[in-house]
Parts: sequence; C-alpha cells; structure tokens
Amino acid sequence: MTGTSYRELLLLALPQTVVVLAGLIALALDLSLFRNSTNRVRFSAGAAIACAGSLAAGCCILLSQTHGAIQTFQNGMLLSNPLTHLIQIALLLLAVLTILLSIDSTFTDHIGEYILLILLATAGMMFLVSTEDLLLIFVSLELLSLCLYVLTGFNKHSVHSAEAALKYFLFGGMSAAFLLFGFSYLYGLSGSTNLVRIAAATEGSVMDPLLMVAIVMTVTGFGFKVAAVPFHLWSPDAYEGAPAPAAAFIASASKVASFFIFAQVMVLGFAGTAGNAGWNVRAPGWAPLVAVVAALSLVLGNVAALAQKSVKRLLAYSAIAHAGYMLLAIVSHTQQSIAALLYYVLTYALTTIGAFGVVAVVEHQTGGDKLSDFAGLSRRAPLPSMCMLVFLLSLAGIPPLAGFFGKFYLFSAALAGTTASLSLLWLVILAVAMSAVSLYYYLQVLKRIYVEQPPADAAPIQISILSQIVLCLIAAIIILLGCAPNLLLRLIQNALNAIIA
Amino acid sequence: MQLVLFFIFGGLCAAAALNLLLTRHPINSALSLIVVMTSLAVLYLTLGAEFLAAAQVIVYSGAIMVLFTFVIMLLNAGEEVRTRGSRAAYLVGVPGVAALFSLLTFVFLSQGNHLGKSTLANPATLYDLSAVLFRDLLLPFEVTSVLILIAILGAVALARKEH
Amino acid sequence: MVPIAYYLVLSALLFSIGAGAFLIKRNIITVFMSIELMLNAVNLSFVAFAYQWHAIRGQIFVFFVMVVAAAEAAVGLAIIIAVYRTRNTLNVDQIDLMKL
Repeated sequence: MTGTSYRELLLLALPQTVVVLAGLIALALDLSLFRNSTNRVRFSAGAAIACAGSLAAGCCILLSQTHGAIQTFQNGMLLSNPLTHLIQIALLLLAVLTILLSIDSTFTDHIGEYILLILLATAGMMFLVSTEDLLLIFVSLELLSLCLYVLTGFNKHSVHSAEAALKYFLFGGMSAAFLLFGFSYLYGLSGSTNLVRIAAATEGSVMDPLLMVAIVMTVTGFGFKVAAVPFHLWSPDAYEGAPAPAAAFIASASKVASFFIFAQVMVLGFAGTAGNAGWNVRAPGWAPLVAVVAALSLVLGNVAALAQKSVKRLLAYSAIAHAGYMLLAIVSHTQQSIAALLYYVLTYALTTIGAFGVVAVVEHQTGGDKLSDFAGLSRRAPLPSMCMLVFLLSLAGIPPLAGFFGKFYLFSAALAGTTASLSLLWLVILAVAMSAVSLYYYLQVLKRIYVEQPPADAAPIQISILSQIVLCLIAAIIILLGCAPNLLLRLIQNALNAIIA
Repeated sequence: MQLVLFFIFGGLCAAAALNLLLTRHPINSALSLIVVMTSLAVLYLTLGAEFLAAAQVIVYSGAIMVLFTFVIMLLNAGEEVRTRGSRAAYLVGVPGVAALFSLLTFVFLSQGNHLGKSTLANPATLYDLSAVLFRDLLLPFEVTSVLILIAILGAVALARKEH
Repeated sequence: MVPIAYYLVLSALLFSIGAGAFLIKRNIITVFMSIELMLNAVNLSFVAFAYQWHAIRGQIFVFFVMVVAAAEAAVGLAIIIAVYRTRNTLNVDQIDLMKL
C-alpha cells in the first residue's frame, strides 16, 4: 500500500477547497460585520465574496490545465482533465449567475447561509463531475441533494416552500436508497467501486440477473435525480414551491452535474452491457431501458406542460421533456452524441436559469407566477420581456438560437449511431414531433407577454440594473452560441478527444 | 452456532421490519426499527465487521433513532389514518415489491453456492479499517465533513422560527 | 457456517419491506423511517459482499452510508418540523397544496 500524497490531493482539490472557503468567509462576514446592515447590502457583499471565490477557483482550474493535462488520483478517485475542467468552470458560472439573480429577492433573512449553501452545492457538484469512484459519487451526490432540499425549503414565509422541500426530500431519499442498492450489487459483482473495473468485471454478462437488477436500480436512482418519467413526481412541486432562484439552481447547475455523472456511470461503468435500443437491432442491456424512459419523458413532459397555469410548473414539465432529449443522447452513447449531450445540457442550463430569472422578477413584483401575472409584461418591463422571448424560443428550438443547434446536433448525432445507422430513428422522430408540440406552450407564455393587455392598475415593473445586465448577458450568450456554436462545441470536442487519446 | 445466530437475529430483524410496516402508531414503528438495527449489528458481527457493529449500535440505534423518537414526541404524532391515496399504493406497490423480492431470492438461492459461506474467523481489525479510511479514502472522508456542515446549517435554517 | 446468499436474501427482504412501507405508510415520519430501513438493507448487502470479496472497502462504504443517513435525518426531520408548523398535520395525503 502506497502512502497518499497530501500535497497532490490538496492541489487537485484546490478549486473545490477555494469555493468552500469563500462560502465560509461569506457566512462569517454576514454574521459579524454586516449583521446590522440592510438585506440588500448583505446580499451584495455575499455575492461579491462568492464571485471572487468562484473566480479564484476558476483561475485554479485554468492554471492546473496549463501544466499536465490529465491527472488521476488514487485510481480515479479524483480526476483532473480538460473535460472535468470545462464542466467545473460551467458549474461555477451557473452558481455565480444564480447568486447574482437572487440579490433582489426578499424570501429570506438568512443570507449568509443561503450563499454558503449554494457554494457548498457547487463544490459538491465539482467533486461529482470529477470522479470515477462509486463512493465519492454517492457522497457528493448526497451533498448536492441535501443542499437542494434545504434551498427548496428556504422560504419560511411560504407554505408551498416547506411542502415542496418535503416532497423533494422524500423522493430524493428514496432515490438515494435505490441508487445505493444498485451500487451494492455492482460492488458485489466486481469487488470494486471503480467504474472502469466494474465495467471490466461485468463485460459480456448482460443476462446475469443481478446485473440487470443493478442496472434497473441505478437507472431508477439517476432517473429521480434528473427528473425523468416515471420518476418525475417531485419536480413540478419542487419547482413551483421553491424560491425562484433556488428553482433556477436546481434546474440548471444540478441538471448539468446529474446528467454528466449519469452519462459517466452508464458509458464507463456499464461499458460492456449497453445493448441496443434500435428498432431493427434490439439487444438487451441498459440502452433499451433508458430509451423507454426517454420516450416517456418526451411525451409526458411535453403534453403535461400544455395544461399548466403556473409558469414555474410549465418550466418544470419542459425540464422533464428536455431530460427526454438528453437521455436520447445517452441511449446512443457515441463520442459524438456525448459531445451533443454536453452542448445541449450546458446551453439548456444557461437558458433555463435566465427564464427563471425573469420569473423571479415577475414574482417579486406581482407576487405570483401564474400565466395571468405575465399579461402585458412587454409594456411593463420591455427588456426582461425581450430576454424571455430569447429564452423561450431557444427552449423551443427556433433557428438562430442555441437551443436549435443543440437539438439539431443531438438528433443528427443520435441518427449517426455506431452499429446500424438510423436505428434510433423511432426515438428521433418522436423527439422531433414532441418539440413541435412544445412550441405551443412556449408561445402561450409569449402570447401573454406580448399580445395581451396588462391589468389596468399595473405599474411599470422596477428591476435593478444588475438583474437587467445579467439577463441581457445570458440572452446575448445564447444568441452568440446559436450563431457560432463552434465556440463551445470545439472546446467540448477537444476535451473529449484529449481524454480518449 | 453461526447458523443459529443468523436465524435468531435474521428472523427478529424480518419480524421487526414487518411490524414497522403493519403497526399504526409511529412510536411503535420507531421502536421496531431500533430492533431491526440492533439485530443487524449482531449479523455484522457474524460477518467479521466488529467495528461496524459497534458503530451501527451507536450511530443508528443511538443517535439517529433517538432523533426520530424525539421528533415523534415533539410533534405529538398520533395514530395514522388510512386515507384514500393509500389504496392505490397497495394495488401498484405491493405486487412490484413482491416481484422484486422473489426475483432476488430466486437468484441468490439458485446461484448461492459460488458466493461462498461465512465463518466467524478473522474479523477486520481497526488497523486495517483506519488504514483504508484515512489513506485511500481520505478525500471522501473530507467531503463528508462538508456534508455534516450542510446538515447543521440546513437543520438550523429550516427549523428556526421566523420572527 | 452460513451461506452469504442467506444474508443477501435477508437484505432483499428488508429492502422490499422498506420500499413497500414507503408506498403504504401515510405518516411522514414513518415514511422517512422506511427510507432508513432501505438504507439499512443496503448496508447489510454491502457488508455481506465485503465478506465475500475479503475486501474492506465494502465495510467502509457502510460508514459513509451511516454518515449520510445521519445528515439526512437531521435535515429531513427539520423539514418535517417546518411542514408541521405551517400545516399542523403529518398525513402525506393532506399535504397537497400543489396538484398536477
């Protein structure tokens, strides 16, 4: 047994450490120096510290990228390679955007705790995306989930918030038990907790009933985390009841991390037992199972979204539908489709955080998030309405925006496939048809904003300069990535090539 | 000898788990869960996990279940009322769960031979455990410290009364 | 001499009872207890597999599950207290302000 190099460990985990420290400093200052300041000052100070911390962590990541591209610590316990760096920087960016968008909110007086929880969740996600070991996957996934449960219940003045937290917690706890049950059988089959070794030990034994149970349990567990049908029951309630910034964080950053680790476990850990979900080349394995979950999510998410009155719930069902598109990429699991998955999930996260940002603005002013609260928004707040137009059209997949290219690339990657071309055609046709359905409910929201008259007593909506800048920035990035997708795609493809080489 | 131990405590464990399911008062459920956990500790002993058995009694039966009973007393939870939603759960859940259990039982009993048998020999020593825990698994160990920090923060933030 | 398979059958039984209780029980605290029961079942199968592989990692995994379960219990019971304060009920079916 070799000794552990503490220096190496600290260097590799430096970004996460910096994020945690920044959060602790924010809490300490909030409880001491700013104790008697107004909430706005406290929030601004906390956000400034959080931004500085995230920036420092980002610099650590970039610096480590310059010397030595690919490092692993203790057989994949902690990885450091261009791909993890890319995802970690994206997670930091999403966390910073969440914090910046919540500066105006008034749902809590525990501002230091709020910022610390977001940063700790971010650190948890950064661990989650940089490991190949079941143990660290479990611990960091739970770390993330615990933060999210607390953030969901953070609005103590709202009855819905506590209820949402309860539902999220109960379903999350059960999904953790299922995931862990699957992990225990994986450990039993392979004698190891390392994904690569598990794949080596289980290669070719698809019909082993224990392995099948392990696969079903693992897909169930992750299905809950990414809110795919039929494991989605918690997500509309959690999104509706949670404070808007917390919902934005759940829908964006945690989605990125969960999908990344879902793909990682499936592609690395079950490498030899994928099977095939093509209509002409069916073979048992996890791919057909995930394909069924993807198809259900596509149909139920899009159809249920049609009937929603609350915009947060509508976004929740749209998130379920988008999970379906992303699962499609996992089903096809070629290098190209993983690149498409990462592009899709990153642009989706950015878009949805912006959409929740606008919802937060409206909720702050009108006290609700019903469709009727959005009536005539374009006349009361022109700039956020413009941004919402960009976000929703991107979610629907309208050409010059990032969402369109994400869908296009994802579908073509799924069609290209590996063994038999066009074998996933059935799922892609379903996905295309369903994205046509999705256009209807996004346009419903836009119709309220642009066509309907505002209520007679409506005052113009006041929003801070900072929120406007952040929303415009997000919208600009989405337009930019739609027009020049190569900016992000090149990075993803280079990173994927680097780890495979 | 070991087989007798297994059947006594395994049976106790299963009976207590069933009692958790069937009893109506939360406090009875909590007490049966304590029985499950303590008998599991004995089973850990027979599998050579001495330290784990101690930790099971201290952490699970000691800390976690005390927290549960405390909350049950605090909220003065009474007998549960069977409401409409639970019928649907009976119809959907029970067959699924039973199918899962019978599948697993069948698999284990049919392939059980190559899994081997356990004897009461050579339990893992504290030295082995700590070597792995503090050397190979140092990183997850440190991450759990963050996890506990979150639990403290979360419990305080959620349970504190607003003024 | 006890076949490892017996331990695994017991673990599957406990897990199934836990999952069944999660679906059937109506009191939030009992529902949460059934999650704890499922985690205990997982722990038993980890210990059994650790014995089978003569590897200590399976045992250590159980330590981490215990820590996570303790942290989850603290947060979960805090959430339950918060819900009880606002709604004055512990029945799952009465916590239904938000509907599909």
